[in-house]
Amino acid sequence: MSIAKVPDISPISLYDPTAGSAVPAELWDGITDKNLGDWEVEWLPELLSRLRILHGQGVARSKWPQSRLWDWRRKLQAIEGLLANQCFSIVCNDMTQAMMITDLTHRAKLDAKQAAHLVYVEYLETAPWNRKEIIGQEPRLSGCGSIMIRAAIELSKEEGFKGRVGLHSLPQANNFYANQVGMEDLGIDKDYQNLRYFELTSEKAEAYITKGQQP
Amino acid sequence: MKIKVTEEWCVSQARLEAGAEVGAGVIALDPTFESDDAKNEPIDDSRVALQRFVELSRRQKNLSRQQLAEQADIDLSELEGIETDMHYMPETRTLYQLANVLGVSQKKLMGLSGLTQPKDVSYVEEAVRYAARSESISRLTPEEQAALDGLIAVLSEK
Amino acid sequence: MSKKTMTLNLTEAEMAALEALCEKKQMSKTQLVRQAIRLYQKVDERIEDGGKLFFEDEASKEKSEIMML
Repeated sequence: MSIAKVPDISPISLYDPTAGSAVPAELWDGITDKNLGDWEVEWLPELLSRLRILHGQGVARSKWPQSRLWDWRRKLQAIEGLLANQCFSIVCNDMTQAMMITDLTHRAKLDAKQAAHLVYVEYLETAPWNRKEIIGQEPRLSGCGSIMIRAAIELSKEEGFKGRVGLHSLPQANNFYANQVGMEDLGIDKDYQNLRYFELTSEKAEAYITKGQQP
Repeated sequence: MKIKVTEEWCVSQARLEAGAEVGAGVIALDPTFESDDAKNEPIDDSRVALQRFVELSRRQKNLSRQQLAEQADIDLSELEGIETDMHYMPETRTLYQLANVLGVSQKKLMGLSGLTQPKDVSYVEEAVRYAARSESISRLTPEEQAALDGLIAVLSEK
Repeated sequence: MSKKTMTLNLTEAEMAALEALCEKKQMSKTQLVRQAIRLYQKVDERIEDGGKLFFEDEASKEKSEIMML
């Protein structure tokens, strides 16, 4: 079960842009009650206070964080016990910094004839204080998105999917997936609320991993 | 599952990520991109600049929309969308192809379209200023030529 | 996470099918069986919730219900 399972923990690092230094953190291969508690008690109030500011400034709703209505507890309940869904969370300073739900039963759209499976990122969100656009200043910690994509790649390799990853990006994140991760942009998907669908081939997955190893 | 990842890798990727939006997944209960809501929203000046730039460049080359679409290997409907509908969201690939054919920076054209959030907004403001100097008629007047020259200079890589 | 090991008794035909699938999907036997369980479980859950499983012919848009599982 996604909630009850004791997660495996991998040491990772995030980056504190204000201090200019690495901060030790953990990648958990699950989303636990602790994570959901952090989301409810810490993420939501922070998000709400930021929304209040955006609203007060007259910022268009299309520019508001698009994941603001996500209910992680309900998302977790919906997939409870399903082997198809693997979850991840990032914890740093005893606080959840990001959460991700993946699905292992989707198939690649690139080279569709092969009908190869991939790790599909169903939901990915970072804590509001790590998002520059929401808080209007340097994030408290950066790197959660990169680590989560790395985790999806590693899971994909472990399950025999050769590092292939697919996802529907929220409009504000298109740039990250197209330009930083190097995913192929397959355009707007009418079946998924007109979000852009991105896919990472095994070659591009390797390139993404090696990219970060260069000095 | 455990992963092995070095601190160097994490830090170098995190610095690139720089707190950018990384969210993925369908937006529950939310209006979508091309909904009627979007149509009622005010038009970004940068979208006007994109429309003017594409149209002026095409006319300077004496190309019909059909011809430019063929040259850039994009759908005619995409080009029509960019030139005639300020709310139209072009495909990333369309902008890549257009940037190549028109000889300007892909990144900057993406920024102008609103598909990406440009880090440096000064070129967007400058492009908007140039675009404002031109009116739509069939042949380029000297003023339009000057506006186009300015747009090309602003949208080029350096 | 700790993993459990089991012995699986397959007929020759079943083994041949498994090996052919592994070759085609370029996955190991373990990976393939794990994926098969995930898919079976997911489909079963959907059917229990009242869903139906269809294959659609892309050209004719004809749907044929799969009564398996």
